[in-house]
Amino acid sequence: MPPIRDKFTIHSKAVVCQDVELKGDITIGPGTVVHPKATIFAIAGPIVIGSGCIIEEAAIIVNRRKEVMRVGDNNLFEIGCRVECPSIGNFNTISTRARVHHTVRIASYCVIGAACLVVPTDDETLDDYTSIFGPAAERRTWSGRGRVQEADLRLKHAEYLREMLPKFNRLRRGDGT
Amino acid sequence: MAPTIHYYCPCQSGELLQTPPPPHMASSSASFHLLHSLFFCEECDAVRCNRCVAVEVSGYYCPNCLFEVPSASVRAEKNRCARNCFSCPICRSTLQVVASDPPDGGDGRPSASLSNVGEPPFFLYCNHCRWDSAEVGITFEKPTGLAAQLQKFEDSAPESLEFERLKEHFEPFLPAASAALARDVPGVGKYNPLARSRVGRDRTANKDEMPEYKSRMEISVLGQLGSEGDDSDVDALRRMENVEEIASLEQRWGNSWTTSLRTSDLKPLRIPLHSKVSKRCPTCRHILIKPEQKAQSVRYKIKLVAANYLPAITVGIPHASGTDTARRPQTKATGVSDDRNAGILTAGKSYPFHLALTNPLYDPIQVRLSVQRMHVTAVTDGTAPEKARRTPFAVSLPTSPFPVAAFAEAWEYDDDDDMFGLEDDDLGLDVGRSRDRDGKGKIKAVGVLEKRANVTVVGGEVVIGKEARGHVKFNMLVSYTYRSDDPLPSEDGAGTPSRTVVKSPEVKTFTFYTVVDLGPILPREEKIDPDI
Repeated sequence: MPPIRDKFTIHSKAVVCQDVELKGDITIGPGTVVHPKATIFAIAGPIVIGSGCIIEEAAIIVNRRKEVMRVGDNNLFEIGCRVECPSIGNFNTISTRARVHHTVRIASYCVIGAACLVVPTDDETLDDYTSIFGPAAERRTWSGRGRVQEADLRLKHAEYLREMLPKFNRLRRGDGT
Repeated sequence: MAPTIHYYCPCQSGELLQTPPPPHMASSSASFHLLHSLFFCEECDAVRCNRCVAVEVSGYYCPNCLFEVPSASVRAEKNRCARNCFSCPICRSTLQVVASDPPDGGDGRPSASLSNVGEPPFFLYCNHCRWDSAEVGITFEKPTGLAAQLQKFEDSAPESLEFERLKEHFEPFLPAASAALARDVPGVGKYNPLARSRVGRDRTANKDEMPEYKSRMEISVLGQLGSEGDDSDVDALRRMENVEEIASLEQRWGNSWTTSLRTSDLKPLRIPLHSKVSKRCPTCRHILIKPEQKAQSVRYKIKLVAANYLPAITVGIPHASGTDTARRPQTKATGVSDDRNAGILTAGKSYPFHLALTNPLYDPIQVRLSVQRMHVTAVTDGTAPEKARRTPFAVSLPTSPFPVAAFAEAWEYDDDDDMFGLEDDDLGLDVGRSRDRDGKGKIKAVGVLEKRANVTVVGGEVVIGKEARGHVKFNMLVSYTYRSDDPLPSEDGAGTPSRTVVKSPEVKTFTFYTVVDLGPILPREEKIDPDI
């Protein structure tokens, strides 16, 4: 296996703390906040993260496939989640300790509930507005009511973090090779 | 399965018989409880369990808003919260009142005019599964006072109207609305007996005759509202596409009336109230448990639990029994294999086990253990009856009383008893670190093994017969003596000089039974072990 070459392209407006473990070819868009102790491993293929995402502590984003893993804008990866999907849309929420397998493609406005395991054996795409909850990972479709307020909340969340995190954490600057 | 110990409460046995039933019988499990669920009555000096205490409600509260509901309104509101607390019909978590989205002019750009209160119509929203009440058509004009707004909907439901009509129909025939009926059925008793005189026709007619009742709606129409199992249900089931369309049992059985089967018809329910209870001793009526009045506090004003009076006993079987070398833990993580080996009791071997007693009192106690003899008449497998009557296992425990130190704060204990580092599991194997060794150099298995802080570990041994089956369970009688705090009448001059009054504090003894379950017995394997 070829050695992983680190190539980080972090936008100047993104806030990435120093304690984050980054490996491989990673691109982080403007406005994204990566908390300390997060892990982003682009082992086999590159990872491209959009703008305004919030990646919290102990979140693990791993790409073990050769294709590019594209994460969209304004997603929230809560504490302890593990995500390996090849593509994620916008405004999704992956709650605490959830696990999403590499066979799943997530569209926009989805909610994966806390501690849910989305691990289907076959390839699957979650439609827009899917909500997964409960210990058995039941699904239902969100009607979409309240999405404007949620989107607004997400933006305010990211803005607050961009303001507060640099005051208490060291930031990683520039490209690493 | 880890070994367990349960304590005995004599409430199930008769008045005179205070000994527990044989533990291998299935019905005996009702009398044995874990220590944390038992209470202790100081007046009667007896253990009380949840089955024998007298329970009375001390208050009702809503688990969501923590509002204390006075008991008068509890019945009026049908044991539900009258304020804005609803539970999601899909996932049964609490619903939140949210405003609708403002009309967005652009393509998802946040509009700056999001006001604090939000815009009507308001609806209920579940944060967990993202269900919202607009799917069933329930919306509100104001974010507060939801119960009042919903009341209008509920009152115009066909079931309620039917019920009102039934009450009006039967009202003339009730001689006087009895107080009990008025309490149970809201609405009865409101009617004035003077109103009956208007219905003059009934006085002349026979009291037993009643005009026929005509319902408001046809029964078949009503039947479609609930799941009566008739054609409409069958049609719905035929057209069903996936199983999530049918509401599950957990989602439906909280409703008062039968509702339709479909998930899309489920309505949000008001959150049922919880109650705080206080418990009393059944014989002396002394209060054992009395919670605080405030709903949000979890403490108790009076808390007489058995754990504060009885020594807590935990049972353990040290891993890798000393007599069995063939079952040595493998080289991988010993934590996993220890658990597996610790629970294994094989027929035909003997195992030491540890009992750790923790003293909760502020005085040191002397404990004496004894095994209750019991007759084992039935064994599960139907082998020859002579073998079945032999006792399947023999337990030996230290018979002499041993002390357990008093409870004190952690920093008050001396450091010469090594509190850390010496683990019970090592005592069975490690020769060099054993504390109690007799002259022959063999490690003593039965007897006091260790004393530290207010815990004393004693060891016992169980020898399992070759034909034994089932669980190793035995009743153990624990009796402990302690010096009570009651001050004695001091020796004053009035005492006769010829009688010597020993000025010693009063010594009290308390006895209780426990059942120790060491785990299931595995039948002996066929391969020959060199040790046996």
